[in-house]
Amino acid sequence: MPDLHVSLPAKLTEVRNLSASVEEFGDANRLPQPTVFIINLALDELITNAVTHGTFNVPDPTIDIHLKAERNVVTLTMEDNGSPFDPTAMDAGDVDTTSALEERAVGGLGLHLVRTFAHDMAYEFVDGRNRLTVHHHFKSESE
Amino acid sequence: MNIEVAEEREGGALILLPVGRLDSANARAFESIVMDHIGNDERKLIFDFGRLSFISSSGMRVLLIAAKRLSANEGTIALCNMQDHIEEVFRVSGFDQIIPIRDSRKAALEVS
Repeated sequence: MPDLHVSLPAKLTEVRNLSASVEEFGDANRLPQPTVFIINLALDELITNAVTHGTFNVPDPTIDIHLKAERNVVTLTMEDNGSPFDPTAMDAGDVDTTSALEERAVGGLGLHLVRTFAHDMAYEFVDGRNRLTVHHHFKSESE
Repeated sequence: MNIEVAEEREGGALILLPVGRLDSANARAFESIVMDHIGNDERKLIFDFGRLSFISSSGMRVLLIAAKRLSANEGTIALCNMQDHIEEVFRVSGFDQIIPIRDSRKAALEVS
């Protein structure tokens, strides 16, 4: 099963090219369409977070994405060379999904979506790089 | 990055049909189109998602801002024709509790 490994400049517009590669990865690994959608959603949210909340004090801000499908689990690994930033440390309870329209907070929703649809996620800072690992479980279409 | 948004009028409402992906790359362009219409005193906006394949929180943020603005102006907003995976994202975000979501455009036109 082919993995996907992409290195991107840390910019929002890169999300678009990446999504086409993720579709190809999904086809090659026979992933169900809802799983491909969730992976693309997670990547959009995580890259947006890294670009807008992360700090890149380096001349070449770069995000590396690795996707691997194995035994009904997709493993998404995102690494970047920005300053330490742990998206899992944000408090899930801070996300407002219940208040009335007038009081509803704008923002903070992205990580809530990633967390809700993921099986688990883990963060570490290794060798001067942020590394986030997210697992998505799926049922193969032949089951 | 731009986004194609088809526009139609029906029953006093302006129907907006975003095409393709509404993501972090083009949410700003979408926001400016939607806010221009609200600024031009459109009071009844329907977002028909029949041609939308993908949305992320960047796009949903625009709908929330539009709903707040319309509500403050005594206007109405409704969404319709969503694919199941998109509706699921609106549900887990709790947006289905604050923005009317209907199966068809006809039902969306009846939201008052």
